[in-house]
Amino acid sequence: MTPDMQLALPARAENIAIVRHALGALGETYALDTQTLSDIRLAVTEACTNVVVHAYPDGGEGPMEVLATLLGDELTVVVRDEGRGVGPRPDSPGLGLGLPLIASLAESLQLGRDAEDRTEVRMTFSLSDGHTDPKLGLDGEEAAYAELSDPPLPL
Amino acid sequence: MNDEGSGGEPQPYESTASLRLARGPLVAPVLCRVVSMVLARANCPMDRLDDALLICDALSAHTPDHVRDGSLAFALSARERCFELRVSELPHTAAAQLVRDSVVPGVGNVLERMADELRIEPAGDGKHEELVLELRF
Repeated sequence: MTPDMQLALPARAENIAIVRHALGALGETYALDTQTLSDIRLAVTEACTNVVVHAYPDGGEGPMEVLATLLGDELTVVVRDEGRGVGPRPDSPGLGLGLPLIASLAESLQLGRDAEDRTEVRMTFSLSDGHTDPKLGLDGEEAAYAELSDPPLPL
Repeated sequence: MNDEGSGGEPQPYESTASLRLARGPLVAPVLCRVVSMVLARANCPMDRLDDALLICDALSAHTPDHVRDGSLAFALSARERCFELRVSELPHTAAAQLVRDSVVPGVGNVLERMADELRIEPAGDGKHEELVLELRF
């Protein structure tokens, strides 16, 4: 399915603000309520931060792509990169809270790789009644993102 | 110049983004927001930011008439005192038509008036062309 919005940027910290603004425009256009839009922006910010911090080690730079698709009363946002992928990282500078936070904000969360072997974080948000029971859907062995030192919290 | 370089040495600013939007209500708001952010980070003065947004409005209004596959593709690039906006994947002859469509009565051609440089380039795939607009500030 063709996304409604596809934004590709170098994976740099300052570009996360551009993603947030683009999502703000999307939220206003689709008349999302403030809380829902805030949750979406926070979750996508976390996913983009993971790309910036973890995807390209040793100061390397690569692309960060954000795709948003509205289907019915669900908004799916995919954050994609061409980095080293998902895996344990003992030297992670983060607290390991990013993915559990995303999982608590999104209706569903899937981690994995697309057909072109790019790392994907796929988040679905319900636009009808705010939050429902969050589910953490994991895609195979690759399910622990680099910053996640502990297994995902049962939610 | 910004001051984000190592050792306090200023580094030349450069920012790029590519944006693909489905034809519809998202085009104008998302394009304007993304362009605003890229220009703000490039320390673009307010008057040129206004000019860029007028260009975005004109492109948002008329580009959807000239795309075939239902989505619009843009490539943005900001360097020191220069911003380039490419409207990509246009069918042949669509770029010139898009420029002609951007005439506002009493104002003239918005794209030609606001951009410092406007040109049409063939796309790398040989099937499409690109409208390239440059703003200097």
